[in-house]
Amino acid sequence: MAKQTVVPFGPQHPVLPEPIHLDLVLEDETVVEAVPSIGYVHRGLEKLVEKKDFNEMVYVAERICGICSFMHGMGYCEAVEHIMHVDVPARAKYLRTLWCEMSRLHSHLLWLGLLADAFGFESLFMQSWRMREKILDMFEASTGGRVIFSVNRIGGVLKDIPPEMLRDFLKRFDDMGADLRRLTRTFLDDYSVNERLRDVGFLTKEQALSLGAVGPMLRASGVCYDVRKTGYAAYGDLEVEPVVSTIGDSYARCQVRIGELFQSLDLIRQVGEKMPTGPIAVPVKGNPEGEFFMRCEQPRGEAVYYVRANGTKNLDRMRVRTPTFANIPAMLQTLKGSQLADVPLLILTIDPCISCTER
Amino acid sequence: MNTTRLLCCLGYILLAPFIGGLLDGIDRKLSARMQGRTGPSILQPFYDIIKLFHKQIFLVNHSQFFLVGSYLVFVIFSGALMFAGYDLLMSFFALTTAAMFLVLASCSTHSPFSAMASQRELLQMMSYEPMVLLACVGFYLATGSFQVSDIIQSNLSPIVFLPGFFIGFVYILTIKMRKSPFDISTAHHAHQEMVRGVTTEMVGSLYAITQIAEWYENVMLLGIVALFFINGNPISWPLAILGVLFVYFLETLIDNTTARLKWSKVLSSAWLVTLLFGGLNLLVLDLMIKYR
Amino acid sequence: MTEQETMTAPGGLIEEIPVQDLLPRVIEKKIANWRLCQICAVTLQGLYELSYSFADGYEFHTLRLVIGSDEEVPSISQVYDCAFLYENEMRELFGVHIQHIAPDMQDKLYRIDTKTPFAEKRRG
Repeated sequence: MAKQTVVPFGPQHPVLPEPIHLDLVLEDETVVEAVPSIGYVHRGLEKLVEKKDFNEMVYVAERICGICSFMHGMGYCEAVEHIMHVDVPARAKYLRTLWCEMSRLHSHLLWLGLLADAFGFESLFMQSWRMREKILDMFEASTGGRVIFSVNRIGGVLKDIPPEMLRDFLKRFDDMGADLRRLTRTFLDDYSVNERLRDVGFLTKEQALSLGAVGPMLRASGVCYDVRKTGYAAYGDLEVEPVVSTIGDSYARCQVRIGELFQSLDLIRQVGEKMPTGPIAVPVKGNPEGEFFMRCEQPRGEAVYYVRANGTKNLDRMRVRTPTFANIPAMLQTLKGSQLADVPLLILTIDPCISCTER
Repeated sequence: MNTTRLLCCLGYILLAPFIGGLLDGIDRKLSARMQGRTGPSILQPFYDIIKLFHKQIFLVNHSQFFLVGSYLVFVIFSGALMFAGYDLLMSFFALTTAAMFLVLASCSTHSPFSAMASQRELLQMMSYEPMVLLACVGFYLATGSFQVSDIIQSNLSPIVFLPGFFIGFVYILTIKMRKSPFDISTAHHAHQEMVRGVTTEMVGSLYAITQIAEWYENVMLLGIVALFFINGNPISWPLAILGVLFVYFLETLIDNTTARLKWSKVLSSAWLVTLLFGGLNLLVLDLMIKYR
Repeated sequence: MTEQETMTAPGGLIEEIPVQDLLPRVIEKKIANWRLCQICAVTLQGLYELSYSFADGYEFHTLRLVIGSDEEVPSISQVYDCAFLYENEMRELFGVHIQHIAPDMQDKLYRIDTKTPFAEKRRG
């Protein structure tokens, strides 16, 4: 019987993007069990419903996480808009979709960079993040902020994108397509990258469904499920086909996210073609009363926004079930029986956003 | 002859840290430029060492000082042996002893990361030792002597007889210099699952000593690379330096264009290369000598 | 709208059930291969409202329990492994009495100083 050692992984570890603690029980270099421990970034944001009124809660929702910021704000706004039966103007919906897809692009590029860093390929990490800078520049030009840019409000959006800026963005995205192809070819075809990604962290379709995995984690195991097909924001007018793989290992997840990069570029092009004119917000009067479950497709997977209101200006409850929260059991499953060298990769394979998980 | 040996030996002991540090700085600058960044100044490693010596150490484990010190002493000893023109095989064995001291130093702490990394370091040693020994044997077969002072006087550059050994040696140089794809036990960046690997628990002046030892080692290894090119003709010396710089550039390039492999792959690929290139070369060389 | 249509409509179908029906209905969902989507709790005057949401394809169905603050609820982590995170969170933040969570984190999931901060409302 090999000797068991317990390696404390995290919360401070150079490979982890955010603090999570895992007690890895190892036999030589094989992980027998992983015991998770979170709570390092818990801020209790959901309790702020008692202090902030429902309009101000948009800002709180956005600040749950820096990477997923826009969609948190949007998910919350859509939930309240459904409760108050607010008809958001078409242009606002399209603008929201544009920023959503840009968020997805920058989030996946961030993830690709972190993945490259985790398996020791620093220059690929630098290249991915350099591409991401171009998207952040576009965010700054259109909204004034790079990471947390508050453009969502109940009833629409706060800022408009003038037609010349939109044309300029579309051109920049076209140029980005060729660069992205070159970058992602390294991820998919390079020998040493393949060595690290292939056959690592298998998750079968049944396991993915029973463990409640969402997003690329689920789609890489063969389940065709993408919340964008329910048609929120402007997705009802756009062609969205979920990017699915049936292999179920880390390579498949990388493939799915890379596929989604190009899908986002295509969706942005569609949004640019179909963007309607009109107002960007409608005034909203009164207080919400009722409840609603809103589902959004974040870059990391399906996020559920539950809002419950009682007719006063303070909500009863705002609850965000983030995709990483749902993916943690799946991650623990992939860790069992893996090699120590694969642990950072497997943690990154769910695209962890611990700020989102803990709120 | 004795004065020359003494001078070369002293020259190595005094100059190698500066050359090593400069090479480290050039490597960092080159890597940065390959990644599209500006990069630090070439003298940055020296600034870092000076800063490290200023740090206060709160150590629980005093044996580490002795072990890391021994590591440095043995590295200097092996390099000095080689530059003074003595036995190549002997200096490699001294280098192996030095590596053992490093492993012992990292084992002596209670950190699980250091402990696991020292196991990996041992695996690394298993990967490159065969090729290193074969290279020494190759030099003997090509030039008729293990003594470095004889090897540099040979008629033809050893590389003419030892192309396979050269390729194999450059392959395991990537392991010895701790570059991607073989930086499994410790790397220049702390972004791996072992945190900083064997040097995780080494801080301040202790870490500075390991850095300086690494510079001595690098200079010695590059000296071996130069040995492939040097022959009795004085014109071979600048050619050798060019060869060394080219190999160093190649190492930086490989570091920047590959991901890190797992230890099983490192071991199997190193042995494969050793058997293939080293073994074939050895066979051919043996036949050549027999039927000359 | 039919039940099917409500489930695929945005927000899905919310159905209130008594506590004793929770485990049987959850097992039904598991057999029909529904995915556990989320579990959350709301504090109302002296009551907890627990929502267990399940999804199958694009259908969304929430089972709602309304319980008193001292009432006990069985854990569904024996049926759905992934429920342990949600149930530990509910117990730690709200003080909902959930029995037999596997694995039980003993109120150490979020490491907070205050006990059950979401249990009562503080107007501020």
